[in-house]
Amino acid sequence: MSSGLALLLALIAVGGLYSATAPESTAQDSGLSVEAMAGQEIYENGCITCHGRNLQGVEDQGPSLIGVGEAAVYFQVGTGRMPLAQNEAQAQRKTPAYDDAEVNQLMAYIQANGGGPTLPDEGDLREGELAEGGELFRLNCASCHNFAGRGGALSGGKNAPALTESTDLDIYTAMLSGPQNMPVFGDNQLTPEQKRSIINYVQTLKETADPGGAGIGRAGPVPEGLVIWVVGITVCLVVCVWVGSRA
Amino acid sequence: MSTPASEEFPAGDARSGAHPGEAQPGGAQPMAGSPPVAGPGPSHAELAAMSREELVTLGGEMDGVRVVYAEPPVPPGSRLEKRAVRQVAASFLGVTLSVVAFVVLFVAWPWQLDYSGQGEGFDYAALYTPLLGLTLGSALTFLGVGVVLWAKKLMTYEVVVQDRHEGASPQIERQTTAATMLSGLNDTGIGRHTLVRRTLLLASAALGLLAVVPLVGGLIKKPGDQLFRTPWEPGMRLLGLDGVPVRPLDMRPGSLQTVFPPVEAGNRSADAVTMLIRLLPDQAQRYRPREGQEGYRWNDFVAFSKICTHAGCPVSLYEQETGLILCPCHQSQFDVTDGAKSIFGPATRSLPQLPLDVDNDGYFVATSDFTEPIGPAFWERSS
Amino acid sequence: MSTSAPARPATPIGRAASGADERLTIAGPLRRTLNKVFPDHWSFLLGEIALYTFVILLLTGTYLTFFFDASMEEVVYDGSYDPLRGVEMSKAYATSLDISFDVRGGLLMRQIHHWAALLFVAAIVVHLMRTFFTGAFRKPREANWMIGVALLVLGILEGVFGYSLPDDLLSGTGLRIINAIIMSIPVIGTWTAFAIFGGEFPGEVIIARFYILHVLLIPGILLALISAHLLLIVKNKHTQFPGPGRTEDNVVGKRFFPVFAVKSGGFFMVVFGLTAALGGLVQINPIWLYGPYNPGLVSAGSQPDWYVGFLDGSTRLFPPWDLYIFGYNIPPLFWPTIVMPGILFTLLALYPIIEAKLTKDTAHHNLLQRPRDVPVRTAIGAMALAFYTVLWISGGNDLIADKFNISLNAMTWVGRIGLIVLPPIAYWVAYRLCLGLQQHDRQVLEHGVETGIIRRLPHGEFIEVHQPLGPVDAHGHGSLQYGGAPVPKRMNHIGGLGRAVKGFFTPIEDAAPRHDPALDEERQVELTGSGRPKDTEA
Repeated sequence: MSSGLALLLALIAVGGLYSATAPESTAQDSGLSVEAMAGQEIYENGCITCHGRNLQGVEDQGPSLIGVGEAAVYFQVGTGRMPLAQNEAQAQRKTPAYDDAEVNQLMAYIQANGGGPTLPDEGDLREGELAEGGELFRLNCASCHNFAGRGGALSGGKNAPALTESTDLDIYTAMLSGPQNMPVFGDNQLTPEQKRSIINYVQTLKETADPGGAGIGRAGPVPEGLVIWVVGITVCLVVCVWVGSRA
Repeated sequence: MSTPASEEFPAGDARSGAHPGEAQPGGAQPMAGSPPVAGPGPSHAELAAMSREELVTLGGEMDGVRVVYAEPPVPPGSRLEKRAVRQVAASFLGVTLSVVAFVVLFVAWPWQLDYSGQGEGFDYAALYTPLLGLTLGSALTFLGVGVVLWAKKLMTYEVVVQDRHEGASPQIERQTTAATMLSGLNDTGIGRHTLVRRTLLLASAALGLLAVVPLVGGLIKKPGDQLFRTPWEPGMRLLGLDGVPVRPLDMRPGSLQTVFPPVEAGNRSADAVTMLIRLLPDQAQRYRPREGQEGYRWNDFVAFSKICTHAGCPVSLYEQETGLILCPCHQSQFDVTDGAKSIFGPATRSLPQLPLDVDNDGYFVATSDFTEPIGPAFWERSS
Repeated sequence: MSTSAPARPATPIGRAASGADERLTIAGPLRRTLNKVFPDHWSFLLGEIALYTFVILLLTGTYLTFFFDASMEEVVYDGSYDPLRGVEMSKAYATSLDISFDVRGGLLMRQIHHWAALLFVAAIVVHLMRTFFTGAFRKPREANWMIGVALLVLGILEGVFGYSLPDDLLSGTGLRIINAIIMSIPVIGTWTAFAIFGGEFPGEVIIARFYILHVLLIPGILLALISAHLLLIVKNKHTQFPGPGRTEDNVVGKRFFPVFAVKSGGFFMVVFGLTAALGGLVQINPIWLYGPYNPGLVSAGSQPDWYVGFLDGSTRLFPPWDLYIFGYNIPPLFWPTIVMPGILFTLLALYPIIEAKLTKDTAHHNLLQRPRDVPVRTAIGAMALAFYTVLWISGGNDLIADKFNISLNAMTWVGRIGLIVLPPIAYWVAYRLCLGLQQHDRQVLEHGVETGIIRRLPHGEFIEVHQPLGPVDAHGHGSLQYGGAPVPKRMNHIGGLGRAVKGFFTPIEDAAPRHDPALDEERQVELTGSGRPKDTEA
C-alpha cells in the first residue's frame, strides 16, 4: 500500500518537476514557472523569517536553502518537520502544515533557486536487492536508527527518529538531503539503486511479522530485561506465595 | 490415636503468636542426641507385629521427627474434597489436551514465514512459535498447577518438628579424630624430615607449573607491534564497503562514508576501519587540527578511525550539523571540528586521524598509517 | 545375614527394593531423607527457581548443541531468511539462523534457553536478597553464602559466553568490549587478551573457545557448586523464621515426602511452563535483525543482557580519567569493569565474615531475622541496591533518553550524581523505616491491636479501643516481649473477625468456619499418630 502511495507521490513530484521546467509555463520577468511563483508566495509567508529573503539563511535562525534541492523540501515540509514548532531541540515529524500541492509549489521554488537534489524520477522505490540493502543499512543507518529502524538517542537531547512512519519517498529524500544532523548520502555515495535496496530492506523489515512472538519494541536487551523482571520474576513470586501457602 | 494438637500450634494460623524461643512443645525428646540406630531396637518379631502407622512413627522417632499437628485440608468424602479432586483431574486433563495441541501444531501448522516482503495478507506462520510456546507452556503449567493443587488440597497439612543435630561434634569424636590424625602425621615424619618436607613443597610448586605451562604456552601469542599499526600504508586507496575507491566528488558536504583499506578482508578489518567525513563549509573553516596533524586533512575532508578509543565500538553516529560523533556503547562524544577530541563521556583520547591525500587518478589515498595506536588503550601505550 | 529375617516381600516392587537394599544398604538413609523436615515459607522457594531454570538451561542447551556449529569460518548464507540470503557470515551465525528458521521448533528452544538464562540470574539475585535481608548467611552457613556468590558470578559469566556465541552484530560488539576490558588490565592485559582471542581482535578462535567454556567447563563447575550448595543445606538443615515452637535446635515444617517433594515438583513444572510461554510469546534476541558481525558496524542501543547492564552503566558513568605510570597506561575502562565489580563481589562474598567481625557474633544461627530487626544490615542492603540500580538504569540510559525525550548527556549526569547521592539516602530511609516498624510492633505488644472502634468517654474525649494481645497490668499495658516473629496487627490476624474471605468470584470458604466440632471430630478420626491418613488398603 505504501509503495503505491509512494508511486503516486513520485508521479505528482514528476508532474510538478515537469511543469516547473516546461518552457511554455515560464513567467516573463522572474524566470520562474507559475508553480514556482506560487511556491515563492508560500515561502514569503511561512519560511522567510528563518531562511531569509533570498534563501541565504539567517544567522542562528535557519540555514541557507540555496542548493538544498526539492528533495530537502519534500522531506522537511512533507513530513511536517518544517515549519519548525517553537522550542524544539530538533524538528519532529508532525501533521504537515501544507497540502501536497503547496509542497510541490515550494519544491519548485526552491529547486529553481540554486538547484540541488531532486526527487527520484521513476519507478518503485523498493526495486532493490533485499540482502544488499540490509548490508548497506547496517553500515550506514543502523548506528543511529537502530538495527530495526526503531530510532536511537544522539547527543544532547537530539535523536535519530524511528522509521516506523516513514514512507519510501521520505527515506529516499532524507538520504539525499541529510536533514538536520543526518549525514547526506549523495547519489555518488549511495547510488539510486543502493538507496532503493535500503528502502526495500527497511520497509520489508517493518512489514514482516516477528516470528518469535511479541517484538517488544525491537530495541534489544533492555526491554528483554524489563520483561524478565516485571513478568518473569513477578509471576514466580506469585507462584511462590501460592505454592508456599496453605490451601 | 488422635492428633496431639498442642497449645503451641493452634488450629488457625501456626504463626500467629509472639512467643518464639520458648520451651519446646512436648518436653523431652525421645532420641535427642543419640545416633538413630543405637540401642536395642524392637526385635524382628516385634517389628513384624507392628502396623504401618506404628512403623512410620517409629521411623520418625529414629530420625528425630515428631508430628505436632496434622489435618486433612478437606474433610474426606466432603463436597470440598470432590471439588479438589475434580480440579486436580481437570489440570491433568489440561496437560494431555495441551500436549496433543502442541504435537498437532508442531506437525501441521505452517512454520516457515515469508521474509521476502512479497507476501500478501497475514502470514499465519508468524504464529507458529507463539502457538508452540503457548501449548507447551500450558501443558507444563497445567501439570505443575495440578500437582501443587494435589499436594495442597488432598494431602495432609502437617506441622512436623525435627531436631537439629549440629554444632561441634562430641568431645570424644573430636579428640580421638585429632589424635588419629596427628599420630598418623607423626608417623610420616613430615615434621622431622625437613629435607623431605622442603623437597616435597618444591615438587608441588613444580607440578603446579606443569599444570599451567602447557595451557599458557599453547595460548600465548606475542602481541608484537600489532596494536601499534593497522593495514593502512602510504598510497593505499580508501575503499567503500563494496571495494570501490572513493573520490572527492562522491561525497557532498556533511556526509560520512565508512572506508576500508585495499587488503584482503579489509572490509571486515577491526582496526583499519575509518570514517571519511566531508565537513560543512563553516566547519571546514573553523576546523582545528591536533598539534602536528595539520596536514592530515584534504580540503574539507578528514578521516578518523572508526574504532572508539574507549572500548572499541565503532563510532559512527555522526551529527553533520554539530560535527559530533557519538559512540553508541558508552556515549562518548567526539568533536570532529576539534580534531575528533573527546568532549563527553568516558573516552579520554581523540579518535586517531588518518592522513589524507588524493592521488593522480583523483582517488583518496592515505599518506601513511595512523600515527598512533587506534582503539581502546592498553598498558604498553605511552600516550 | 540374619536367619530370622522377616517374610520376603510379596510384591515385585517390594522384592526389588529389598534386593537394592541388600546391595546398597540404603534403607536407613532413604528413610531419613523421606522424613527430612523442610520449613515452609514462600521465600524459601526463590532459590528453587534458580535450580529449575538451570535444569531447563541444560535441557534446551543440549538441544541447541545438536544444530549449532561454533565456527568462525566464513560461509555464504543460503537459508530461508531472505533479507540475509547471499550475505557472508560466520558458520556460527549461519547455524544460529538455521536454528531460528530452518529447524522446526528451533526458535522456540532458542528463546526458552535465553529467557531461562535471564530468569536464572534474576532468581539467583532475588534468592540472594532474601538470604541477605533475613540473615540466613550467618554461622554456620557462611561457606554456602560464598558458594552462592560464586554461582552468581559464574552464572553471569556463563550468560556472557552464551550471548557471545551467535556471532551476530550485537554479540560481536559485546566481544569487542570484552576484549577491550581484558586489554585494560595493567601489565598483563595485552598478553592476556592475545592469549584468549588467539591474537588481535577478533581473531578466528574466540567463538569456539567461548563455546567450550559455555557448554562444558562453566556448566560443569556450576553443577558441582550447585551440588555442594544443596548438600550444605541438607547438612545444616534449612533456616526458619522465628515463631511458636521454633527454636535454634529444631526445624518446624513439612516432611520431604510426600508434600514437600510433590509441591517442589509442581513448582518446577510451573517455572518450566512460564519460560516455555515466554519463549513462545515474547521474542528475545532476534539475531536475524542484528545481522552478521563486522567490527566496523554497530547498531544504536547496543546493550548487554540485563545482568551485565550494571557494568555497562558503570562504564558509561565513569569519568574520563586516564592514568600514566612511568610511561605505561591504565585506561579508564579498567576501573568500572574490573576493579568496581571485583570490589563489589569480594565485599558481597565476604559479607558474612565482615558482619560477624563487626558485631562480634560467634553464635550458631538457625533462626532468621526480620529485616526490620537488623536496621543496619537492612540499610546497608538498601544502599547497595540503590547503588546497583543506578548503575543498572544507566546501562540503558540511551534507550530511556530516546523513549522519554531526555537529553542523553543529562541522563549521564543524573547517573553520576545519583550514584553518589542516592545510596546514603537509601541507607537513611531504610534505617528509619526499620525503626518505625520496630516501634509499631512494640506499640501493639504494649497497647494491643487497633480495633477500629471509637468510643466517646463521658467527658467527651474520643478514644480508640485496643485489643490487648495478652495479660495487662494495672495501666492496661501488655507484658508480652517481642520475639522476632510477626506481631498481629489486625483483628482478623488474631481470630477476632474470622479469616478474610478468599475467592475471586465466590467465597471459597465461609466467613467463620473455624470451629465446627463435627468437622474436627471427623478429621481427627481420619488421622493417625504418624500424621498420615489411615491406610485404606492394608
